[in-house]
Amino acid sequence: MRGAGLLFAYSLKRVRTLTLTTGLLLAALQLVLIFVAGSIQTSGGFDQLSALLPPFARELLGPSVATFMSFSGIVCLGYFELAVMGALIALAVTLATIPASEVEIGFMDLILARPLARHWIITRTIAVTTVVSALMLALMVAGTWTGLRLFAPKGIAWPSATLVNSLAINLGMLTLCWGGVAMAIGAASRRRSVAGGAAGLLALATFLLDYIARLWQPAEKIAWLSPFRYYNPFDLITGSPLPLKNLAVLGAITLTGFAAAYVLFARRDISH
Amino acid sequence: MAPISIRGLTKRYGNLLAVNNLNLEGVEGEILGFLGLNGAGKTTTIRILLDLLRPNSGSAFILGHDCQTDGLHARLNIGYLPGEMGVYSDLTGREVLDLLAGLSGHAINKARRGELQERLEFPTSDLRRRLREYSTGMKRKLGLIQAFQADPQLLILDEPTEGLDPLMQESFYQLLVDVKQRGRTVFMSSHVLSEVDRVCDRIALVRKGELVLLSGVEELRKLAARPVRVSFADEVQAPAGLPAGAEVIETSPRSWRLTVEGPLGPLLHAIAALPVRDIEIAEARLEDVILKYYRDGKA
Repeated sequence: MRGAGLLFAYSLKRVRTLTLTTGLLLAALQLVLIFVAGSIQTSGGFDQLSALLPPFARELLGPSVATFMSFSGIVCLGYFELAVMGALIALAVTLATIPASEVEIGFMDLILARPLARHWIITRTIAVTTVVSALMLALMVAGTWTGLRLFAPKGIAWPSATLVNSLAINLGMLTLCWGGVAMAIGAASRRRSVAGGAAGLLALATFLLDYIARLWQPAEKIAWLSPFRYYNPFDLITGSPLPLKNLAVLGAITLTGFAAAYVLFARRDISH
Repeated sequence: MAPISIRGLTKRYGNLLAVNNLNLEGVEGEILGFLGLNGAGKTTTIRILLDLLRPNSGSAFILGHDCQTDGLHARLNIGYLPGEMGVYSDLTGREVLDLLAGLSGHAINKARRGELQERLEFPTSDLRRRLREYSTGMKRKLGLIQAFQADPQLLILDEPTEGLDPLMQESFYQLLVDVKQRGRTVFMSSHVLSEVDRVCDRIALVRKGELVLLSGVEELRKLAARPVRVSFADEVQAPAGLPAGAEVIETSPRSWRLTVEGPLGPLLHAIAALPVRDIEIAEARLEDVILKYYRDGKA
């Protein structure tokens, strides 16, 4: 147990620069978005943007578009913008494939030559991935509230704490879900690039599936296979409560990934 | 209790039979050399002992604990030096030693680490440097320190002198002598036959995954053919009817060069009637025997 704690602390220490840099960039992005949203609000730009939107686009994007084209909508954009989601998922995949990296360079030989059970390697990886993902979202939320205090125009309604927290929780679950998938792949891999690449390609494929299904009805039949289907920020912005079903599905994928990682890593040969 | 016990161990990689029904028993307090050509199954066997690889059949025990079913206890009292020190290059030497010491399950005696550093000429200032700045030899020294620092009962060393300069090799041999005197057991793989000859008590030789030789170094040396040079005061005929075990390498009218396996008595008897001026008998070379095993699988 002490050994596992040491390994956890060591792993956190190794990723501290990556973690802090990513977290601060994501928090800074929230500040920038709020600054931009404040500027548009002050100049009356949201009304003009809404008026410029053609009717077919309004119909295609649904009722959420009006809510999105507002100060609160832009503030919330920081929780579903493609680059933000991509950065969080990439970070989770990177952390979840630490075991594959340790096998690849041979460090795993030195670790497992000690009296340390293999399951601690996966437990450590789950802990690191979860702690870092939670820290990323905490920094983003902190960035949002700091930005609102600094840059929100006076008298404008802020997004509610419930909305911001719901977005953060749902996004966090999506991030962990990909961490779980990557961990399962990484637990059976000898190369981090292979594990990370496979998880990344799978994420891209399922993102495109979800995206296409929103535009093309026939794809809807299989869209449930995409984890991205279980993160609907527009629904949250339009006032829907945090869907527990979506969280349960993402949680189930995450736990399945973790469980698969335990089993695969316990049974595999460690060779590089 | 045998420090290492391997029973009917077999490991396959697909169609490749890496280790085939290997049986081996270590003796407490010995230095057991584990020899074989590249791909003979040495590293695979070591990795099975550490439970990094799972055998297809058979079992391996360390200090009485099954390496697969009771791996935690099996690995509690071992120090391991891998063939290559795979460590993240952004770590400092001290971070590596501290982490691995923490994972060893034993409190590390700092004085012991200091002594190892001194013997291997590894100053504390080098421990503060990142591994990306280390030379191959420095990484090897760091590997030796991490393996020896917990003063384990069993040391498993994979090609330990690879990358060490001759002076450090000498320090390492002294280190082996010391740990042996303290009753520790060493199981080391090596390609350097002179090193094995010098430091090992016994040799286990594997070829194509099978154990083809397990013998004490002294016993093995007795099997080696000794070079013999016989000089004559007068010219003599080429040798004929020499005893079994004697083989002629080169002859001239006043000298013969031979190799002799086994006792020298029959040869001396055979040349007793000749005008012998001098006989030079060189020490048998262990390498000659081992090389035969490498080539043929038997001497």
